[in-house]
Amino acid sequence: MGLLDKAIAWGEKKSPWIIHFNAGACNGCDIEVVDALTPQYDLERLGILQQGSPRHADVLVCTGAVTLQTRDRLKQIYDQMSTPKFVIAVGTCACTGGIFDSCYCVTGGIDTIIPVDAYIPGCAVRPEAIIDAVSKLLASLDRKEGKRE
Amino acid sequence: MIASILKVLLFPGLLFLGVYSFVLEFVDRKVYARMQNRKGPPWYQPLADMLKLVGKKVILPNNAQKFVFAALPTVSLTAVVTAFLCAPVWGMQAVTAYEGDLVAVLYLLSIPTLCHFLAGYNSHEVYSTIGAFRTLTQMFAYEVPLFMAFLSPAILAGSWSITGIAAFYAARPLYVLINLPAFLIALLTSQSKLERAPFDAPEAETEIVGGALVEYSGRYLAYFRATAVSELTVMASVIAGVFLPFFTGNGAVDFALYLVKTFAVVLVMVLLRATMARIRIDQTLKFFWSVLTPVAIAQMILNLLLRGGLGL
Repeated sequence: MGLLDKAIAWGEKKSPWIIHFNAGACNGCDIEVVDALTPQYDLERLGILQQGSPRHADVLVCTGAVTLQTRDRLKQIYDQMSTPKFVIAVGTCACTGGIFDSCYCVTGGIDTIIPVDAYIPGCAVRPEAIIDAVSKLLASLDRKEGKRE
Repeated sequence: MIASILKVLLFPGLLFLGVYSFVLEFVDRKVYARMQNRKGPPWYQPLADMLKLVGKKVILPNNAQKFVFAALPTVSLTAVVTAFLCAPVWGMQAVTAYEGDLVAVLYLLSIPTLCHFLAGYNSHEVYSTIGAFRTLTQMFAYEVPLFMAFLSPAILAGSWSITGIAAFYAARPLYVLINLPAFLIALLTSQSKLERAPFDAPEAETEIVGGALVEYSGRYLAYFRATAVSELTVMASVIAGVFLPFFTGNGAVDFALYLVKTFAVVLVMVLLRATMARIRIDQTLKFFWSVLTPVAIAQMILNLLLRGGLGL
């Protein structure tokens, strides 16, 4: 790995920009995600910024079980993000489908449609859990770098 | 020859602009965070953002014209960097100074705005097109008061170069007070030119996703971000040179004064950003055309009369 690659890998860890997508949640987890972005929890000290466009973002933060309505949209938004990209499933429904699993209009958890890098169980998750998950995801990037070397 | 090349490339040219832009972006974000009572990003944050964006994959939209899409970020960054060469940094010395460079700098600083418009228009996407047209609409709002605000001190000084204006006011420091309304207009119009709150309707993330740059990713987005922060540095430097011309004559002390002046300008601009909510694009137009432009015209007429009256 050259010096520039190392610098870029460092930048990747220090500046994860997130985009938030509701795949069919009851809105409980979304409120907690928004809560985590408020000055009270100050995610910018980890370099996290919320972006409007999927093209600018690195981490897709998904809430809720995937419904038939949002299935194609979720795939589309994931495809619109530029690589390297990561996905965090927020809440029990996003991890497994939760109480909505095997409903007639629900496909299941987020990982039935797109690959997921971090799971945060909870109903609804706490903002502290979201921050913990993001910092653990960044730490796991470190380990992946180690493997590549 | 070698000395002048080093001046352009290292100090006070490209390298200094790059480093100082990172510093100012950090100050901007940190102070903004402290005003919201949070801790804010670490000092290396602008560098990390830039490196990460450079490493990401570039996605070219299918229905955009590829060459134009790729060329626009470079063109806008080049224009801003070129404009910086005329700003006085080391004392009253700029890298290049010639009669009329104030007008050249103002035109060079219009190029990024036009590039934003073309980038949004060329992306052929609903949100980016709305953002592009808002960018252009806002440009028509602020461009006239911006030019008048910067040219009023020039009229009084009888010089159209930034260093010439600085030299004139350095000899007569009290005349700076005459330009106080123009100074305030320059701050507000710069805020609007940089598309920062309360004039950030063109890139309103919560309503039109991010404006003209929706389709940009990877290093092209990095160039556009670099353009935005260098533009902030250049605007602060030009404002410091034209409206705050206090010099001691010693190069190093004047450089320290330059840092203090640009920091002060940026702090005022952060204060505006942190304390005001976004206003609608029609309110922006109304504010600039019915409030700032008449004041700017009055300032210009006053300066013309004073130039005759004071026998300069």
